[in-house]
Amino acid sequence: MRHLSDGTLRRIYDEPLALTSLDQAHFDGCTECKARFESIANTAGATATLLSVPGFAPEPAAGLRSVRMRIRTGETARPPRWYERWLDRTSRWRPIATPAIALVLAVVLLTGVTATGLAQSWFRVFEPRTVAPVSVVPSDFAGTGALLDYGAVTWLPDAPTLHQLSDATAAAAQSGLPVLMPASLPKGVTGGVSFGVVSHATGSLTFDAERLRASAAKNGVHVNTMPARINGSKLIVNAGPALLEAWGLSASASEVQMPTLVIAQTRVPTVDSTGATAAELEDYLLSQPGVPPDIAAQIRAIKDPSSTLPIPIPKGLATTEQVQVNGVQGLLIKAVLGAGVVWEGKNGVIYAVGGQLTPDQVLAIARSLH
Amino acid sequence: MLYAQAWQPVVSRIPLDATRPKVPDPFERLFLEEYPKVVAIAYRVLADRSAAEDVAQDVFIQFHRRVSPSDERAAGWLHAAAVHSALNLIRGERRRAQRETAHAVDPAQPTGANPERLVVEAESRREVRQALRKLPQRTAALLMLRYSGLSYAEVATALGTKVGNVGTLLRRAEEALRKEVNRATPE
Repeated sequence: MRHLSDGTLRRIYDEPLALTSLDQAHFDGCTECKARFESIANTAGATATLLSVPGFAPEPAAGLRSVRMRIRTGETARPPRWYERWLDRTSRWRPIATPAIALVLAVVLLTGVTATGLAQSWFRVFEPRTVAPVSVVPSDFAGTGALLDYGAVTWLPDAPTLHQLSDATAAAAQSGLPVLMPASLPKGVTGGVSFGVVSHATGSLTFDAERLRASAAKNGVHVNTMPARINGSKLIVNAGPALLEAWGLSASASEVQMPTLVIAQTRVPTVDSTGATAAELEDYLLSQPGVPPDIAAQIRAIKDPSSTLPIPIPKGLATTEQVQVNGVQGLLIKAVLGAGVVWEGKNGVIYAVGGQLTPDQVLAIARSLH
Repeated sequence: MLYAQAWQPVVSRIPLDATRPKVPDPFERLFLEEYPKVVAIAYRVLADRSAAEDVAQDVFIQFHRRVSPSDERAAGWLHAAAVHSALNLIRGERRRAQRETAHAVDPAQPTGANPERLVVEAESRREVRQALRKLPQRTAALLMLRYSGLSYAEVATALGTKVGNVGTLLRRAEEALRKEVNRATPE
C-alpha cells in the first residue's frame, strides 16, 4: 500500500478519527509514515505557538445589541439597493443564467467579423463602438428556449461582484473610472448619491452539444444539432469594471426602490472565440428556440454587428432616437416613466444616464458630465 | 378506613422549546451561535480584541443586508467574510501602524503579568502578523480559520474547497508561514 499523503498525516494531528481503518492499519505498521507524522506534528505545534493569542471570550449579547442598534440607525445597515437586489438575484440564478448568457450572446453575436485575433486561433467577435436599439418583448424570453443549457459557464477567477461604497474617491479608486457629476441636478433629483462598483470579470462559455441535447430533451424542445465547429469552442467574455452613481435612494425604505437618476459607465465589453467564427455562431444561435424571429431579424439587419452594442427596448413601452452627446452618436430612450441615453465615448467607455426624468433633462445631464 | 395521600407526582407537559431561551428571530439565533467564532477568527488575525469585535459586527451587518440567515451557506459566508476582512485590515499600512502602536502590549493582560514577557510576546505577535501579510491571502485565510478552531469541514466550506484538500493545503500553509517567519528572523 502507498504511504499516507502529507495531507492525511496532517489531518490525523487534528482529527485522528478521520482516518479510515485501512489507512490506520498502514500507519500503525509503517515507520516511515510515523516519522513523517512526527515532523508534520512538530510544524503544526510550532505554528500553534506562533499564532497563539491571549484568551478572549466575547459577549454575544452585547455584540447583538450593538449590531441591532447599528442596523436600526446606520447607513451601512440600510436595505439593499435595487441594483444589489438585481445582482443578488442573478447570482442566485446561476443555473438559469447559463442559458441566459448564451441567449444574450445570441443577441450580441455578429456576422461579417474581421478576425483581429489575439492569437491565430482566437477571433475577436465583439467589441462595440456604437449602440443600436433592438425592440424586444420581454415575455418572448420566458419560453422554454430560455431553459436550454448550451454549455459550461465559468468565471476566471470569480463572477463579477458589486461593492457599495460611500464616497467618490473610493469608488473611483476601485473602478479605475473617474466619478462623473452633472453640472446641476434637475428639481426632481434630491438627496445624496450612492456609489456602486462592479468588478472586472472574465467569463467563458464552452459550447457542449451533449449538454444542449440533454437540456432540450428534458424541456421537450427541439434544437438544431450543434455544428461540429461550434461544439467544444469557447467564448471568452471580458466585461467591467463598471461604476454606478445613483440618486434618490432612501436609506430607510425596505422595498425595492427606483432611483431618480443613475449615471453608469463601464469599459467596453469584448467577446473572443476559439474555433467557431462569429458568422457560424450567429447563424446557429439565432435559429435556436428561445430567440424570437423578429429579434433575430433585427440583429441580422445591423450593419456592423461586431462593433454595435444592441440595447434592448421594450416594444410599445419606449421609443428611441439618435442623438449627439459630446461629439459622438448616442441613443436616446423615451419611456412613459422616464428617459435614458446611452453612448460610447472615444475612450472605450460606455456611458448611460437615466432616471425618472424627461428626455431633455437626461440629455442635459449627459452633456454636462465632468 | 382513612387514607392519607402523602405524595403524588405532578406531571405537566412543557413544550421542549419552552425550556430554551426564546430566540425567535433567525438572524439573532444565527448571531448568538456564530458571533463567538466570527470574533475568534478576526481576533486570531488581528490579536486585538476591540478591532476583532468591530470586524465581527461589520461582517454581521453586511450579512444582514445581503444573505438570508436561513441560507445553508450562512455560516461559511460569515467565516470567510471575517477572515478576509481581518486580513485586509492588517494589510492596510496606515491602520496597521496605528494598531501596532496602540496594542503592542495587550492591555487586557492581568496586572501581575511579567512585563518583560508581555513585551516579548507582543513583539512575537507583531512579527508573525508581518509574515502573514506576505503570504497569499488564501494561504493566510486557511491558517487563520483552522487555528481559530474551525473544523476541517467548516474551513472547507468557508474557502470553497473539498474537506479532503484541507490537510494538504494546511500543511503547505504551515510550511509557508514557517519559511516566512524564518526569513524575517534569521538565526
